[in-house]
Amino acid sequence: MANVTLNVNGEARTASVPPETTLLKLLRDNFNLTGAKLGCDVGDCGACTVIVDGKPVNACLMLAGQADGRDVLTIEGLATLDGLHPIQKAFEDNASLQCGFCGPGIILSAKALLDENPAPTAQQIRDALAGNLCRCTGYTKIIEAVQDAARALRGEPADKAA
Amino acid sequence: MKRRGRGIACMWYPIGFTVSANPSAAVVKINEDGTATLLTGTVETGQGSLTILGQIAAEELGIATDDVHVVSADTDATPMDTGAIASRTTYVTGNATRLAAEKAKLILFEVAAPMLGVKPDQIEARDRKIQVKGYPQRNLAIGEVANHAQVVMGQPPIGAASFNPATVALDPETGQGKPFSTYVYATQIAEVDVDDETGEVEVLRIVAAHDCGTAINPMLVEGQIEGGISMGIGFALQEEILFDDAGRQINPNLTNYIMPTSLDMPEIEVDIVKSFDPTGPFGAKGVGEPTAVPTAAAILNAIRDAVGVRITSLPATPEKVLAAIKAKRAQQPKRIAAG
Repeated sequence: MANVTLNVNGEARTASVPPETTLLKLLRDNFNLTGAKLGCDVGDCGACTVIVDGKPVNACLMLAGQADGRDVLTIEGLATLDGLHPIQKAFEDNASLQCGFCGPGIILSAKALLDENPAPTAQQIRDALAGNLCRCTGYTKIIEAVQDAARALRGEPADKAA
Repeated sequence: MKRRGRGIACMWYPIGFTVSANPSAAVVKINEDGTATLLTGTVETGQGSLTILGQIAAEELGIATDDVHVVSADTDATPMDTGAIASRTTYVTGNATRLAAEKAKLILFEVAAPMLGVKPDQIEARDRKIQVKGYPQRNLAIGEVANHAQVVMGQPPIGAASFNPATVALDPETGQGKPFSTYVYATQIAEVDVDDETGEVEVLRIVAAHDCGTAINPMLVEGQIEGGISMGIGFALQEEILFDDAGRQINPNLTNYIMPTSLDMPEIEVDIVKSFDPTGPFGAKGVGEPTAVPTAAAILNAIRDAVGVRITSLPATPEKVLAAIKAKRAQQPKRIAAG
């Protein structure tokens, strides 16, 4: 067994797990954080995307042991009692998600992008989301929501025409 | 070099099959606080059906969509629905929902008529009020009427209804008849670049004009069209289930079953055609599946326009497109010689 201690959504969490346990399995099974989804389990679909030390990663491809001592942000860490995170709000306002299975991963990929680049072009958004598959939406309203969220996070009014 | 082409494709698609029973049922209950509860057997899979049905009930009752509490997809508690299939929910379940809401509303009109001193057919439901047509200042709050209906008149305002598009048998000899209740229509135009040295196709733009009857929720209609186009692009250029000689799928995963990513999606322009179908709820028909129908044909026509080759098996992979371009080039000198 491997003892891991990591900071998840601002809170220190500890578990003792078999060494082959992935970060995704640790989050879902040990910490009951089921927002990160198990899709393909081989790093193709991006449904398990979480942010580790500021970078988006496929939690199915990272071992729990590799996350030891690091900061992990999952979709559960975004909204507060006061309301949704601006990216979540923009996704809601634009009806960006349909079945929603890809949503937690896409929103976290978008957050990692906007944390590094507060004013991305549409092409930069497409590049940042290229590892997150969505079968329902055609990505169109997702890209529009990320643009809206970027404006909101920069403190600018929403511009539906852009 | 890259060669640009444009292709167009049109389609019609049937809504509400009639060759066999195709019912949906709904129950609408108006509550004492002016809200309403809708029971429906249909299933929300992300397409927004429950929002649409809530909007239909709200429109009929003159209340806000937020006032409608939708209870769905529980076979213990909700009425029968044929299913979230065949692009039928807005049309068939929507009609059942509107009819159930109308029945509940008419109970309120019966109860409100003596309270307002008019006949029931002189009353309308608007802005969360039961009011006299043409004299909106003579009104009662819906919740007040609902409460009066229950505790004074003993007539709880509950409506139950079903809708089954009239079944019409097809003539067994001619095959003629009316297999569907109504139809939707669409045209999509694709603009592509085809690299004539590699066969690679890039979709640059899709313009999609869809008739779905009256769009009850245009934002959700756009989402359906954009999603359908992404499936159509995968169908046209990328997606193929491959089998070995023993019939085993050799690409049963997303590593080599290639579907569109955010990088494969073109600019999409959606045009919702203004239309009204008198048989649909508030003029609506449907939009789901039809959105994916014309996309591949438009893209393949655009490839033909760009490089002059007709691809007749999907997906139009770079290998297929390049082979067709080479075959066409090989034929051209012969034609010149023959002429």
